Amino acid sequence: MDAAAEGWREILQPQALDLVLLAAFLALALVSFFRKSVPLKYVTFVAAVGYLGFTKSSLVSVSDVFRLTDLSVPEFKFSLAWYAFMLFVVGSTVLWGRVYCGRVCAFGALTQLMDPILPRKMRVEIPVRIEKHANLIKYGVLAGVLVYYLVTKDVAGPIRYAEPFWMFSLFGTTAMWIGLAVLLVATVFVRNLYCRFLCPVGAALGIISNLTVFRIKRWSECKTCKICERTCEWGAIRGPKIVASECVRCDDCERLYMDQQKCPHWLILYKRKGNTVVRS
Amino acid sequence: MSQLKRVAAIVLVLGCVTAIAAAADRIFTLQNPAAELKRLFPGAAAFSALTGDPLHFTAYTADPKTNPSAPPLGVAFWTTDLVPQEHGYHGPIHILVGMDMTGVLTGVIVTYNSEPYGYFSVEPPKFAMQFKGKKISDPFRVGGDVDAVSRASISIASATRAIRDSARMVAKQLLPEATK
Repeated sequence: MDAAAEGWREILQPQALDLVLLAAFLALALVSFFRKSVPLKYVTFVAAVGYLGFTKSSLVSVSDVFRLTDLSVPEFKFSLAWYAFMLFVVGSTVLWGRVYCGRVCAFGALTQLMDPILPRKMRVEIPVRIEKHANLIKYGVLAGVLVYYLVTKDVAGPIRYAEPFWMFSLFGTTAMWIGLAVLLVATVFVRNLYCRFLCPVGAALGIISNLTVFRIKRWSECKTCKICERTCEWGAIRGPKIVASECVRCDDCERLYMDQQKCPHWLILYKRKGNTVVRS
Repeated sequence: MSQLKRVAAIVLVLGCVTAIAAAADRIFTLQNPAAELKRLFPGAAAFSALTGDPLHFTAYTADPKTNPSAPPLGVAFWTTDLVPQEHGYHGPIHILVGMDMTGVLTGVIVTYNSEPYGYFSVEPPKFAMQFKGKKISDPFRVGGDVDAVSRASISIASATRAIRDSARMVAKQLLPEATK
């Protein structure tokens, strides 16, 4: 009995800090998500970059996808934080969609933090017909690295650098830093470029997100209204439809739905009910 | 808007403080690893300060101040002092290594790592235990004479290399008879 208790203390003690900080961070991410709060979302981004990024390098990597394909996972009791993290990533994707991409992933958070700082003028809007095809590149990248892994069974080699997540460890060759700089400069013009078009993890979560249980509500007015479609920074809204695999639950359209001054759904209701405030 | 600015300012200050604390943890090894040294050399009566080239602690059977002829039991050193270029997936892994005068490891203790979740998740005493009794001439091959838990291989491989290379460097420079 004593030996068992001693054993658990030895197992939990080295993991306690990780578990507490992870729980605190995930709680913050969920609160910011449910409250649809813009300031809290930015706090989440900063925490993601600082803690999950520069402190821990704990991002879901495409190597986690391989590991799941051959069920080679870390030992449970010594990797509680990893299991908690993976459970959150997969669970939140099934429940709400790519929440992970939208506010937990440190690299996604970093590029989203660039958004409010950089002038809007520098952004290039990609035409929908090009975007539709560019969205598919990430599935190609996922297939490519999966084939590479299945053939070589090597995760520590070049595949480690297929994603820019190594940047948080600050160890990279000059060529890698130049590549990253090119990617970030391109992100200045095409926002969230990596997440939308290139990320193999985003592709894998995009596939899972087709299962999404709690989807974003659409009004009947959404068939004709284009406000949200134009606002969406992820190109996830096409006409009346939200493309689940592209949506990262950034809340921008949901905040518009709630805005009784902007969303036609409410404006039409007002007209009918003679300008009295109504709630659905 | 002013509320937003206040939140941003608080977040920024907290972020900077945590960043500095985390960086200090990552860069500096434990200031006074007395308890760890005692675990590596339970029979030692006294330890020298961290000195010499390469930097090391010396373990003595008796306090050298009272008994200057007391023979040294062995040496202990930080892998990060010897092979600073060796790092895991995310950064340096601080490992204190104990070695007796014949080049046999008396143990290793990992005091700090910032590897991603699940990367350094081997049973800490078990990982350290398997280095006890190893000779510097052993192969130190992960998957061979060093156990690897799946997925941890990047971190474990780096830690193993760091232990092997630093032990060999120290032995070469401080224990000439051990390398013969």
